[in-house]
Amino acid sequence: MSTPLLETRNLGVRFGGLQALEGIDLQIRSGEIFGLLGPNGAGKTTLFNLISGITPASSGEVLWRGGSIGGLDANRIARLGMARTFQNLRLFSSLSCLDNVLVGLHRQGRLPWAAALVGTPMAQRRQRELKSRAHELLALLAIGHLAEQNAAALSYGDRRRLEMARALANSPELLLLDEPAAGMNPGEKDQLRDLIRRIRDQFDLTILIIEHYVPLMLGLCDRLAVLNFGRRIALGTPDQVRRDPAVIEAYLGGSR
Amino acid sequence: MDATLLTQMVIGALLGLSVYLPLRCGQLSLATPGFYAIGGTLAALLSTRVNALGGSDPLYPIGSVLLEMTLAGLLCGVLASGIGAVVLRLRGVYLAIATIALVEILRVATLNQDALGGAVGIFGIPQPFANPEGYAVFALVLLALVCWLCERLERNRLGLAMAAIRDDELAAACQGIDTERTKLVAFVLSAVVAGLTGVISAHFLNSWNARLGSFDASITTLAFVVFGGSRTWAGPVLGGLVLTALPELLRPIGDLRLIVFGLVILAGPLLLPQGLINPALLGWLKGLLPKPPCTTASGEGQR
Repeated sequence: MSTPLLETRNLGVRFGGLQALEGIDLQIRSGEIFGLLGPNGAGKTTLFNLISGITPASSGEVLWRGGSIGGLDANRIARLGMARTFQNLRLFSSLSCLDNVLVGLHRQGRLPWAAALVGTPMAQRRQRELKSRAHELLALLAIGHLAEQNAAALSYGDRRRLEMARALANSPELLLLDEPAAGMNPGEKDQLRDLIRRIRDQFDLTILIIEHYVPLMLGLCDRLAVLNFGRRIALGTPDQVRRDPAVIEAYLGGSR
Repeated sequence: MDATLLTQMVIGALLGLSVYLPLRCGQLSLATPGFYAIGGTLAALLSTRVNALGGSDPLYPIGSVLLEMTLAGLLCGVLASGIGAVVLRLRGVYLAIATIALVEILRVATLNQDALGGAVGIFGIPQPFANPEGYAVFALVLLALVCWLCERLERNRLGLAMAAIRDDELAAACQGIDTERTKLVAFVLSAVVAGLTGVISAHFLNSWNARLGSFDASITTLAFVVFGGSRTWAGPVLGGLVLTALPELLRPIGDLRLIVFGLVILAGPLLLPQGLINPALLGWLKGLLPKPPCTTASGEGQR
């Protein structure tokens, strides 16, 4: 089998006396939509933070294309081709939607500093290209009409869409989505499923997604892992996970 | 307008811009007077001790002033990149305290080094201009250059990255922005602007001493930005110009001017917390302008 795009080996983190994650082994294959399920406090977002370099791991390692990325800063990891959204939304609130996406396009705007300073025709053309790219991404997420709006003025659902647009602007190979459906109504959640499939195909992405809404996850993901109390309690296709006794116990409680 | 006052105002505006640059990426650095003092001391030393710079003309050559500025800019830039790499690990008020300490260290060191002027200072700094108008023009040219730099910065990728760091440093790092390096660039630019301003100031004031770079100056320059607004470069420029001019313009009313000045400084942040040049004002001004055709076209294209 080929090397997985992302792999965690025996990954764990301890915050003081709390073992937040322990012995997490996952292999994310190129092109799949991989879901992380689990009750609140199971360690899903913590796992995202370990993978994206925001929190250092206490044990184990994260491998990107087979090479360890332990100890790299968040910005170095982002540059490898990993982009993420945040459960609590971290937009640049004083900037317009368009500028938020332009920040996401940061790496693609690289120019000689003197050209950027003076604003040579080459730099201006580059700037126009990036802007039209940003407009395309906003339109793809159905918030094109809000381009000039301040990010702080957006509704909750639109802010989630803007975060996705910004993450896509990074042109990542792996997209980490932390509860993208939070704050959306059932109709919007169904649209979101189609949207995530569409961007996976259009951008040739691998997606790692955290979501509480189980019907969305079962219908969307190729494979799922279930976490509970910092441990992986199940792994497999949606059908396998749905029937797993450990999962049923975690969600519905054990029978006596 | 009186050219001497105008020069003072322009120097105030330049120092305001120096505080504004790190603030644009959310870094509250009060190191500006320290680098201003380094520039001033360097200019005072070079122009009074190095005879070769003087030339034969009774007026001090402009070329020598430009040479001093180059050296001061380089020295401040190099020092700032070394110091910044360490102090920029601090955030918020801790960075402010560390930079105040830096200013104090420089002041006390200068005060105790006779070679740097000691407690007396350095006198008889030669004059490159025969009249105050010359200084005003020279300072205005530098201000125009720095404003242009800031304007370009706000419009290009680096400036956008700085604004992103100001809003959310962690999210900015997750977009692949090298946050450490970006903050360092802003800090170095700030130091260079302060150093260059110090050189002009030393010649303009004719004498230089350690008291010119003190904690008081840190607070005054910060007031320029708080009063004017830190949203765009026009804020600190306006703040520096107005707050430098005000005590002088109010001189006819005698000691009452200090009370009025105090009230103005107090009223500014109370009535306009985001400064004179604030987002609401900018939005209103934007509304007055005709919409640029390219954005409306793309807006329609998406529907």
